[in-house]
Amino acid sequence: MPQKISLRIDGELIHTAAGQSILDAAKAHNKFIPALCHMKGLSSVGACRLCIVEVAGVGRLLPACTTPVQDGMSVTTQSDKLRRYRRIALELLFAERNHVCAVCVSNGFCELQGLAKRLGVTNVRYPYTYPKVPIDLTHPRYTADQNRCILCSRCVRVCAEVEGAHVWEISGRGVGSRLVCELNRSWGESTNCTSCGKCVQSCPTGAIAEKGFAVEEMSKRTDPISRLATLRAAGSDNKPGVIL
Amino acid sequence: MKRISDLSSFNDVREAGLSKLLPDRPRIAIGMGTCGTGNGAESVYHAFADAINTRGLGMNLARTGCFGFCAAEPLVNVYLPGKPLVILQRVQPNDVPGILDDLASGRMPTGLALCKIEEWDHITGHVRFGVGLPEIPHWHEVPFFTGQKKIVLRNCGLINPNEIDEYIAIGGYQALYKVLIDNNPDMVIEAVKAAKLRGRGGAGYQTGIKWEFLRKAQSERKYIICNADEGDPGAYMNRNEIESDPHSLIEGMIIGGYVMGATEGILYVRAEYPLAVHRLNSAIEQARECGLLGDNILGRGFRFDLQLVEGAGAFVCGEETALIRSLEGKAGRPTPRPPYPAEHGLYGCPTNINNVETWYNIAPIVIKGPGWFTETGSAKSPGTKVFSLVGKVNNTGLVEMPLGTPLKTFVYDVGGGGTHGRAIKAVQTGGPSGGCIPQEMFDTPVDYESLGQLGSIMGSGGMVVMDEDNCMVDVARYFIEFTHSESCGKCIPCRVGLDKSLYYLNRITQGKGTEADFDLLDDLSRMIRDTSLCGLGQTAPNPVLTTMRHFRHEFEDHIRAARCRAGVCEDLALSPCENSCPLHMNIPRFLQLLKEDRLEEAFVSVVMDNPLPASTGRVCQHPCDNRCRRTGVDSAVNMREVHRYIADAIYPSDRFDALASDIAARRKPLTGKRCAVVGAGPTGLACAFYLCMLGHEVMVYDSNPAAGGMLRYALPDYRLPKDVLDREVELIRRTGVQFTFNTQVPRDVSLNDLDGQYDAVFLSIGTWKESWVYLPGTELTGVIPALPFLEAVSKEQPVPLGKRVTVIGGGNAAIDSARTALRLGSKVTIIYRRERKDMPAIPEETEAAEAEGAEIVFLATPHRIVGGPDGRVQAIEAVRTKLGEYDSSGRRRPMPTNEIIRFACDTVILAVGETVDLDFAKASGLKIKESGLIEVDRYTLETSRSKFYAGGDLITGASNVSNAMGYGKKAARNIDRRLMNVRRWEEVFPSFEYDQAPPAHASEAPRHHVEEVDAAQRATTFAEATIGLAPVDAMEEACRCLRCDVRNGDH
Amino acid sequence: MNKAKVATVWLDGCSGCHMSVLDIDEVLIDVLHKADIVYGPLVDAQEFPEGVDVTLTEGAVSSQHDYKLIQQIRKRTKLLIALGDCAVTGNVPSMRNTIPTKRLLERAYVEGADIHQRAPSDGVPALLRHAVPVQEIVKVDLHLPGCPPKPALIAFALTELLAGRKPDLTNPSVAGLVKFG
Repeated sequence: MPQKISLRIDGELIHTAAGQSILDAAKAHNKFIPALCHMKGLSSVGACRLCIVEVAGVGRLLPACTTPVQDGMSVTTQSDKLRRYRRIALELLFAERNHVCAVCVSNGFCELQGLAKRLGVTNVRYPYTYPKVPIDLTHPRYTADQNRCILCSRCVRVCAEVEGAHVWEISGRGVGSRLVCELNRSWGESTNCTSCGKCVQSCPTGAIAEKGFAVEEMSKRTDPISRLATLRAAGSDNKPGVIL
Repeated sequence: MKRISDLSSFNDVREAGLSKLLPDRPRIAIGMGTCGTGNGAESVYHAFADAINTRGLGMNLARTGCFGFCAAEPLVNVYLPGKPLVILQRVQPNDVPGILDDLASGRMPTGLALCKIEEWDHITGHVRFGVGLPEIPHWHEVPFFTGQKKIVLRNCGLINPNEIDEYIAIGGYQALYKVLIDNNPDMVIEAVKAAKLRGRGGAGYQTGIKWEFLRKAQSERKYIICNADEGDPGAYMNRNEIESDPHSLIEGMIIGGYVMGATEGILYVRAEYPLAVHRLNSAIEQARECGLLGDNILGRGFRFDLQLVEGAGAFVCGEETALIRSLEGKAGRPTPRPPYPAEHGLYGCPTNINNVETWYNIAPIVIKGPGWFTETGSAKSPGTKVFSLVGKVNNTGLVEMPLGTPLKTFVYDVGGGGTHGRAIKAVQTGGPSGGCIPQEMFDTPVDYESLGQLGSIMGSGGMVVMDEDNCMVDVARYFIEFTHSESCGKCIPCRVGLDKSLYYLNRITQGKGTEADFDLLDDLSRMIRDTSLCGLGQTAPNPVLTTMRHFRHEFEDHIRAARCRAGVCEDLALSPCENSCPLHMNIPRFLQLLKEDRLEEAFVSVVMDNPLPASTGRVCQHPCDNRCRRTGVDSAVNMREVHRYIADAIYPSDRFDALASDIAARRKPLTGKRCAVVGAGPTGLACAFYLCMLGHEVMVYDSNPAAGGMLRYALPDYRLPKDVLDREVELIRRTGVQFTFNTQVPRDVSLNDLDGQYDAVFLSIGTWKESWVYLPGTELTGVIPALPFLEAVSKEQPVPLGKRVTVIGGGNAAIDSARTALRLGSKVTIIYRRERKDMPAIPEETEAAEAEGAEIVFLATPHRIVGGPDGRVQAIEAVRTKLGEYDSSGRRRPMPTNEIIRFACDTVILAVGETVDLDFAKASGLKIKESGLIEVDRYTLETSRSKFYAGGDLITGASNVSNAMGYGKKAARNIDRRLMNVRRWEEVFPSFEYDQAPPAHASEAPRHHVEEVDAAQRATTFAEATIGLAPVDAMEEACRCLRCDVRNGDH
Repeated sequence: MNKAKVATVWLDGCSGCHMSVLDIDEVLIDVLHKADIVYGPLVDAQEFPEGVDVTLTEGAVSSQHDYKLIQQIRKRTKLLIALGDCAVTGNVPSMRNTIPTKRLLERAYVEGADIHQRAPSDGVPALLRHAVPVQEIVKVDLHLPGCPPKPALIAFALTELLAGRKPDLTNPSVAGLVKFG
C-alpha cells in the first residue's frame, strides 16, 4: 500500500498516494495542466515542457509529468509566467512545421489545435520555418505526414512500450529531428510493423492518421491504449498485436 | 612491467622512475601535448633524436605533456644533474645543435630559456633538481605563471605520461595505497566533504555528497564515470590534463571506485581527442600490468577495472543523462531528473559521474588532507580551477588559479593584456553555456556564485577574451549557432526556441533587426532558459542574455543605426577602415581611383565623404590605421596621408576651380528650408556642407572672425598651415554656405531668435574651456591654460612665456603647447602621470616633440607649483608614481611613491583636458547631463528642444577633429530626414565605377611615412613640419591596399 | 456624428472570410449605421484612402502587389486586423512555401497545362518567395483566426471596435470561437 501524502495544488489541499507525478495528482483532482508529450500508460519523457509548474521553494520550473509529488509540496499550475511560457512553446511548435489546420484530417480533434484554443493563442509571433519534410503514404492503411509532427514521441513509446514492435524512432537532432520508421525505410516496407494502429491513435495531431478519412474526420482514441498499458503493467494481459 | 603487490615492489618501481626523472646525465624532455605537436614539437623531437644518435651523445630524451604556456610552444625541458630544470621556449629544429653543443660541454643552454625550476612540489611528492643559474627567472616569476597554483596540473609537462614509473616516482598511487591500507571509505568521503570539493564540470555540486549517495545506494552493480566529453569551443583543459598526466585521473577513479563500492569505471572521452585517448589507453594498460587495476589491487583484495569509451562528439553528451544514454548505445538525448543517476544510472544501476578535473583533486586531498585543500581558494569554493585562457590576450594557455581570483588578474597579469594594444572589452566564461562579462566588471572574483550573479557560469573553464574587434552581437550569434546545431531536439524550447533565436540574431547582425525583434528575443531567451529539459537548453541563452544586459548599446547600434562598431558584421560595414572612420569615408574607393590614375575623381570621392580632407589629412587621429587588414602582412596603408596628398594635389592646381564648380553643381534643388549652424568649427562646417548640398539654405554663426574653429585657433601652423584651411573653407563656401562671423550665440543672437528664423538649428560650439586641476599654486603668475595659449599664438597676440616651460598633460593639446613653446624659444618639459603607451596624443606627434627637444617625464603626478616672492612660478614638484593594479579602463593605475621630483621652471602650461562652457549649456535651456554636456538621442542627435540638434564636443566632451566632423555629417543626415520626411541622403553622393577585384599582386613595398623636416630646422619656425607624400609614394600606398572591401557573389 | 471609416482588403485568400463578414447578418446593419466601408471588394474605391480607422485584411501576403499594398494600408490605417487564417498564419497559400517559386509555376502552368504552356509574366505581380502572414510584413493590431473566422467572432470584434473598445478575445462569449482552422 503506497504511503499517503498531502500537498497543495493551486492552494487546494490534496491527499494522494506517494510515487505519483504532479500531473497525475492534478488530473485526478480536476486540475488542468496542459501537456502534449504525456500520455497515460506510457513513460513520461518531459519533452514538450507545457506541463511546467512552479513549486514553492524550488528556484526553477519543474515538469509536472516527471516530478513526483512530495509531502508538503505546494504547486502552482497557473501564473502569468507559466501562461506566457506555455504560449511561447505552442507558438514555437506551430512555427516549426507546416501546420495548416484548415485542411488537416484532425481539424477539430487535434490536441495541438485544441491547446492553442484553450490557451488563447490567436497568432504565432515567430517566423514560420516552412521546412520540406517527408510524407509517407506507403503503408496500406495509415499515413505519416511530418508537416504535422510535433516530435512528442508518443508513437515511438507506444510502439516500443505497449506493442513491443519498435517501429518508430526519432533520428537527427535539433530542428533537423525527424520521425523515422525502423532504420529510415518507408513505412510500407517495415518488417516490424504489426499494423496495430496504436501509433495512429496516440498521435496528438494529424501527423499519423488512417487512410480514407477526410478533413475533420479523424478523431483519436487514446483511452483503450492507456487501459491496455495499465493492464500490461499489472501483468494481466500479455497478448501482443491487439488491433484497436 | 613488474606487478606491484607490496611496499617493496612499489619502492622498486619508484626508484626506477626517479632514475629516469633525475638521471645522472642530461635529460631533454619535449612538451608533446596536442598543443606542442601542433606547434612543431614532433620535428623538434626528431631533430633531437637524430642528433643524439648520430653524435652518440649520452643523453636521455623523453616526451612530456604540456606545461601550460601555449603561446610559447614548443617547450623543451632541459635537465643537467645538479642544476635547476630549465624550460626553453619556442624551440625550433635549427636550435637543436646549439642546445646539444651546450649540454655536451656541460653548460646549460640559456638562450631560449623561459624559466627555471629548482624544486617542484608534486603535492604527492617533492623533487629537487638543483640550484643556480641566477640569470634565468624562477618559473613563478614569469608573469604568465605568477599567482598560479598547480594542484590539478601538478605533474603536467614535467613527467612522461607514457611511463607509469615516472608517475610513481613523484608519489603517484600513494594516495590509493593509503586508502587501501586505511580501509575506511567513510573517512575518505568525509575528507572530500570537508575539503568542500565542488564538481569541476561547471555545476559545482559538492563531490563528497554525491559520493555519499552512491556509497549508500544498494545495488549489486554500481558504476563510476569520468566525463571527459569536453566540447566547449575554446576549452581544452581536460585534453591537456589527460595527455600530460593520465595516471592521476586513473588513481582518482580507483580511489572513487573503492570508496563508493563500484567495481567498474568508465572514461567517456571525446573521439576528437585521439592523443588523449591513446595515452589514457596505454596508461590503463600499464596500470593493469602493475596490478593497479583488475583483481586484487596492490595485493589488498580490491577488484576494479576501467574501460575507455570514445564519445562521438555530440556536445549534449557532456550532460550526464545524455552521456549515460550514449554509453548504453542509445541516441545521446537527456532524460529528466529525477531519477538521478545515483539511483538510476547506467543500465539502471546507481552511477556516479564526475568531471576529469574533479578526479584530479582526489589524490591531493587524500594525501594532504582537507585542511590543506581549503587553504587555497575561497571559503565556498576551495581549491584551484584550470582555465584555458584564449582569445585576444598576449599570453594564452592553461592557467590554474585559486578560485576567487579576480578576473582582471587573468586578463592583465597572467594574460598580459590585449594584443596590438587594443582595448579589451569582455571575457566569455563557460563557453556556449556561459556569458560575457564586461570589462567594467573585471574585479569580479572567479567562483561559482559570483559568475552566476552576472548571468554567466564557470563551466568547465573556458575563458575567451574579447577586444574592440569583437562584435558582441556576433558573439551571441556564434554561440547560439553552436548550441542550435548541438541541440538534441527533444524538448521544444531548445529545439525550436534556439532556431528562432538564431533567426533574430542573424537578422540583427545583418542590420535588418527591429526593436520588436529585440524584445521577442529577450522573452524567448528567458523562456528557453527557464523551461528547457537539460543543462544545454537551460544555459544556451546565457550568451544572448548577458550580451543584451551588458552590451545593450551594441544591439541598439545594429538595430537603430545598422552599425557594427567592431566591423565584424559583414553586411554592415564596407571595410574595417571605412567602419572605423567617424566620417565613414569610402577609403578603398579613393585608393582605387588613385591607383587607376583618376586623381580628379578621387578628389571628388574624398571631398564628398569628408569636406575637410587636407586638414584631416594632417591632423586626424587615424583610427583606420589600427584596423587595416594590411597590418596582418606588414603595416597599415597610410590612408590619411593619401587623402592629404589627393587634396594637396588639387587645391593649389588649376583644376580646383572647375572641380569646385562641379561639386557645387551637385547641390540638390532648393528645398525652401532654412538651417542655422552655431559654430564654424569642423563639426559645424561638415554639417553645413551636407545640409547645403541637400538643398537647404544654411547660415553658420561664429564668434570668431573666420571659419575653422579649433583647426584655426588651437592647431599650430606647423601642423596645419592656415592657407590650407582657407582653401577648404573656400570650397564649402562655394556650395552656398553662408557665414555670420563675430557673432556669439546666445549673446548676440538668442536661441529663441534662431528658433523663430530657422527650420532646424545645429549646435556645434567646441570645448573651449580648459579643465582646471586643483593644485596648490595654480594662482601664480606663469600658470597658463593650453587652449588660450594656443589661441593667442595663432592670433599672433603676445603670450607671457618664460624660458623654462613645463607642460602638464599627455593629450594633443599638451604636445601642441610644448612644440609651440619650443618654437617660441623656450626649454620644455612635459609631465605625464601614466606610461607612454597610455598617452592620448597621436604617437607621431609625441615623437616629433621629443625630436625637437622636449623632454617627457612619465609616471609623475604634479603635486604643487612653487612660487617665488614675486608671485611667479619658480618650480613644479611632482610625485613619482609606480604602476599599480589595473583600473576599469584596463590601464594600470599610477600609485604615488614617496619620491618627489622638482623641475625648475617659470611657466606652467596646463593641458589636462577641456570641457564645454557650462554657461552656454545652461543658457540654452536644453537638457544637460550631469557632466555638463548636452543630452541628445545617440542616433538622431536631437536635443530635448524640438528643431535643435547638437553634435561634436558639446555632446562628447573634448574629442578630435574627425569624430567631431562625424557628428556634423550625421546631424545633417538626420536633420534632412526630419525636414523632408523621406530618405534622400544617398542621392547627394556621386557613384563611381571602379575595379571590383582584389589586387592580383598587391604592392610589397613597406608603408611610406610622411617626410619630416629636419628637427633642428623645423623647431625654430612655424612653417609646416611635415612634407606630404610624393606622387609616386601616394600611388604606391594605394597599391598596397588589399581591397578587403571587395565582396564575392551578389553583394 | 462622424462615421468611422472601415476598409476590407482581399490579398491571397479565397474570399471566404469576406463571406463570413457578410454572414454577420443583421449586425451588418448596425455596423453600417456607425461606419462607412471605404475600400475593399464590397465597394468600388480604386485607391486605398487616407485616414482609415479599421482595416480587415483577408489573405496571406503572397505577391509584390500584396506586399506594397499592405505597407500602404498600414500607413493609412489606425487599426489593422488580420482576418482569418491566411492573414494570421499563412494557411493554405503558404503550403506552396516549401516549393521554389519557379518550380511551382512550372508545375502549375507548364506541366499542368494542355495549351499555352507558359508561366504568366505580363500584367500579373511577381510572387514572393514565401506566402507569409500579414504580421511578418507589418504590425498587426488584432488577429481573428479561423478558416473562416466565425461570424459571431467578427460581429463581436466590429461591435466592440465601433463602441470604442479594444476587443478582448478572452471574453467568455467568444473565447470558444478563437481557433485556427
